[in-house]
Amino acid sequence: MDPPESPDSARPLDARGVPTDAEHDVDPLVTAAAVDADTGEGELERTIGLGGALAIGVGTMVGAGIFVFPGLAAARAGPAASLSFAIGAGVALLVALPTAELATAMPHSGGGYVYVSRALGTGVGAVVGLGLWLGLVFASAFYLVGLGSYAGQVLVELGVSLSVRPAIPLGVAFGVALTALSLFGTENTATLQNAIVVLLVGILALFLTYGSLDALGVFGTETTPERFFPPGGALAVVQTAAFVFTSYLGFAQIATVAGDVESPERTLPLAMVGSVVTVGGLYVVAIFVATSAFGSARLGTFGETAMVEVARAFVGLPGAVAIVAAGLLATVSSANASILSASRMVYAVSRDGLVPETAARINRRYGTPHVALGLAGVPIVALTATGRVGLLAEVASVLHLVTYGLTCVALIRFRRERPGWYDPSFRCPAGVVVAGGGALASFGLVGFMQPASIAVGGGVMAAAYGWYRAYATDVDLEGERT
Amino acid sequence: MNEAGEPSTHPKPTVLVPVAVRGEASLPDGTAALLANARVVVAGYYEVPEQTATEQAREQFGESAKTTLRELAATLADVGATVETRLVFTHEAATTIDRIVYEHDCLAVLVANHVERVDDVLLAVRGLVGLEQNAALVAGLFADRGVDVTVYHGRDADEPAADARGVVTETEWALRERGMKASTIETVIEQTNEPVAAIARQAADHDVVVMGETNPSVTTVVFGMPADRVAERFEGPVLVVQRPRPET
Repeated sequence: MDPPESPDSARPLDARGVPTDAEHDVDPLVTAAAVDADTGEGELERTIGLGGALAIGVGTMVGAGIFVFPGLAAARAGPAASLSFAIGAGVALLVALPTAELATAMPHSGGGYVYVSRALGTGVGAVVGLGLWLGLVFASAFYLVGLGSYAGQVLVELGVSLSVRPAIPLGVAFGVALTALSLFGTENTATLQNAIVVLLVGILALFLTYGSLDALGVFGTETTPERFFPPGGALAVVQTAAFVFTSYLGFAQIATVAGDVESPERTLPLAMVGSVVTVGGLYVVAIFVATSAFGSARLGTFGETAMVEVARAFVGLPGAVAIVAAGLLATVSSANASILSASRMVYAVSRDGLVPETAARINRRYGTPHVALGLAGVPIVALTATGRVGLLAEVASVLHLVTYGLTCVALIRFRRERPGWYDPSFRCPAGVVVAGGGALASFGLVGFMQPASIAVGGGVMAAAYGWYRAYATDVDLEGERT
Repeated sequence: MNEAGEPSTHPKPTVLVPVAVRGEASLPDGTAALLANARVVVAGYYEVPEQTATEQAREQFGESAKTTLRELAATLADVGATVETRLVFTHEAATTIDRIVYEHDCLAVLVANHVERVDDVLLAVRGLVGLEQNAALVAGLFADRGVDVTVYHGRDADEPAADARGVVTETEWALRERGMKASTIETVIEQTNEPVAAIARQAADHDVVVMGETNPSVTTVVFGMPADRVAERFEGPVLVVQRPRPET
């Protein structure tokens, strides 16, 4: 009955990177097929079904594309912003399938970081791991500013007039509240989260169907479409695709809970592809409806809450109220999901010894990783306070896209080297071709970001590499079975 | 073991004992004696909120939780029970327990509570469903131990008296078929509109309650269903007899 090994001897490296017993047939983290089996320290229950996995993906993504970007994107690319969102969906799909394969082979917290560090070594892994942590921090801050904008809109609808723009202080307040909730909240919120996502998609489907029919002239006058392409032409469309790519930073979150998912070989690819297709479709239609209701220039002046004005134009005050409520739910859901993902990234790099072990400690009283949540929450609140929506979104996208590209490279490496433990239960069809396309598309899209965003993203990655050189050069993860 | 110290001749029924292993975990006094003639599955679960990856909790607490469970298992094995342990890190304890009940084909789940001695057992039956399971559990655990069993049936106004008598008679017969002496079995039929309160009232004169699950899923039973409400008022151990699971 006794397990033959203690966790320390089963781990390839302890927190300080000291190699321990190399002969370990029974890892605390074992291969995909048996991850929920008892390996000596207990089993892990798989509690997330396809619906739950889809809800994680859609819930993380839908906040941005509909409720923050339409006005900002239309100002840049006009009605062709629809095309920008479609391009983003294409890039995400190319990355989703290879990610699904890797997740079934290495179903652990950390997602892309785990795959890249095992395929390409600790240095690249550290850049990706720390980069993803901060990428999620930037993304959360971006969602929080969006959330603050919607909360501010509530005040506007109530007729409260303020001398300052309330979005940033409200975003900061929500950031603090969500972090505190994740630290001390022990209620099971999965059911609530699923219900919110279903409600959101329902409201949006209804609203967008009505809006589309109206724009096509079913209810009266057909709106005259403005010129589809913006003055900047195709370049502006692709630049906008890069700008709005933050709207797709949720599908990979599904991979980070791969260990909790039932029937991962089926659930993971379906949920990743399904969530991208779902939100991509909603985004494209949302832009069509929004740019039909107002001209792009006018839409742009409404900023983050443009969709509220679109709803008001169609169905008056009730429409505006419904979209404000939906926007609050969606941005809360996105921000919350990203805070939790950032905390899991901290755990993943700490498990491998890239940051001190303390970072992953779980608080006994609440059962929550308080240090990791703090390492997510504090920088998130600080960045929210800057209020730079565009920059926050793009830096988040740069950091994620680099990871996505490297994830695709990792797949190609594993396919070529075929390490013995690499046994994914789902195999991406035409894997090397899809992953090659995913890598090119991901790295390519980075090139269309604003120079400032690339500079900040590059700075973050350089700092991550610097940390690796200073702290963790004795950790060797390349080819390490997970 | 029976009073004479001989191993029991009755097949050991499988009983699942859920144990939350977060922090200090122990079994209430008397639990080991109650389950001396059982195959016990100690289902240790460590529930973490969604913010926490289960693998993260396992890494930090796996070893100590395993030790805790081993100690609990030893106290049960010392009095003669056959013991298996499972340890699961989970976001949903109910799902986990339900799965383990199914995997080990458990006859009953114990809602543990302290008990000084086991002399009188209340078997609350609702109908003929689960008759075999009820009899197998009670006879298996208690037939050799000089324990008195009260077969209790609370009938509502709509149930014909003859049917109610049939239920308790069939149950008594099934117990005797499994080796319980007729002299140790008493039957009670009571008309009531509040079965939970009625069972709890009857239970006051007994040491242990055995009752069926109300719903095919243990999740609802162990967490806030009639058996739990009985356990709350009764403040003693309740064995919740499981219905056979549908084949999946």
